[in-house]
Amino acid sequence: MASDPTDLIHRAQQGDQAAFEALYRQHVGRVYALCLRLTSDPAQAEELTQDAFVRAWQRLASFRGESALGSWLYRLTVNVVFLHLRGARRRSLRVLTTDDPSALERPAGGEGESGGPAVALDLERAVAGLPPGARQVFVLHDVEGYRHEEIARLAGVAVGTSKAQLFRARRLLREALNR
Amino acid sequence: MICPDMEVKLNEYVDGTLSAAERALVAAHAAGCAGCHAAVAELQALLAAAGALPKSVQPSRDLWGGIAARLGQRTTGNVQRAFWTGALAAAAVFAIIVGISRFLPPSTALHRPGGGQGWAAVTADYEQSAAELVATLRTERGRLRPETVALVERNLRIIDEAIRESRAALERDPGNAELRQLFAAAYRQKVELLRWATRVATSS
Repeated sequence: MASDPTDLIHRAQQGDQAAFEALYRQHVGRVYALCLRLTSDPAQAEELTQDAFVRAWQRLASFRGESALGSWLYRLTVNVVFLHLRGARRRSLRVLTTDDPSALERPAGGEGESGGPAVALDLERAVAGLPPGARQVFVLHDVEGYRHEEIARLAGVAVGTSKAQLFRARRLLREALNR
Repeated sequence: MICPDMEVKLNEYVDGTLSAAERALVAAHAAGCAGCHAAVAELQALLAAAGALPKSVQPSRDLWGGIAARLGQRTTGNVQRAFWTGALAAAAVFAIIVGISRFLPPSTALHRPGGGQGWAAVTADYEQSAAELVATLRTERGRLRPETVALVERNLRIIDEAIRESRAALERDPGNAELRQLFAAAYRQKVELLRWATRVATSS
């Protein structure tokens, strides 16, 4: 199987599922990490990861290559997660889901690791314990590098709300990490 | 301790979004204020740690199988219809199995002797979850195919019947742990089906 990303994308756009599987293998860790940090729920993150790749398959023909496939896919993933969260916000998931920060203790699968595993693990736990709104803004702004304007559009909140949630998240994280 | 009116400014300072003049004012304040000085250092360390978190986390299982099973949706409606029909049929079969089997829910409240209060809380959780999901599905049902909605509703009627029967049995024998298990299993199946349907509706 060819591993050239451009070739894989082209073949997947033509309906080649093997090529799409290769793209899935390249990006699943990043997509799952995003879903996991946004939801703090491993089971839900797995479902949303699957939803994101199915959505990507359905929309792959519209990918024109102006940006990297990864950037396109990760933004699509955030859209899928927020669409789900907006629909689910007032639904009680207490029966079916539990926050499970221990799932974040699994060894990470790839790039970007630095700062020491203990520090990262403490931070992951603390992030997982944040209130949902604050956690989502923190993950998108401080971990993924989104701007407040984009977060506000994705989350359906005001820019000021996004900023307030971020500052709240940072305050709570500092308190948690200083304990 | 941060000065009460400085939290926003300190955050904007570490984000680099202040004007040069404001930045200078905040820097001058932090230089003379131990609490704000420490907060700036903590915020900078937090941002550095957040940016250094692993970008990739592998899921605990291979998700490709579930994805591959749904990829046909891009080109054929038949595959989607077959998926729904098969999955909902499976849900119906499971609901029936629930009605005749002793499915064990995890809640310890189901087994607690005299745990009426815990059981009431478990029941309330299920009922509230189901009610909220039903309300959501009602608003999102237009995004599902009519035949899908019909199948979901048919399966819900089956599960509701199982709930009604187990509730009636519980009214006759409130302390019966097995009946509690049956009731909880039926309700959990209802919530699972509703959650599935609303998730597909909101992502379609």
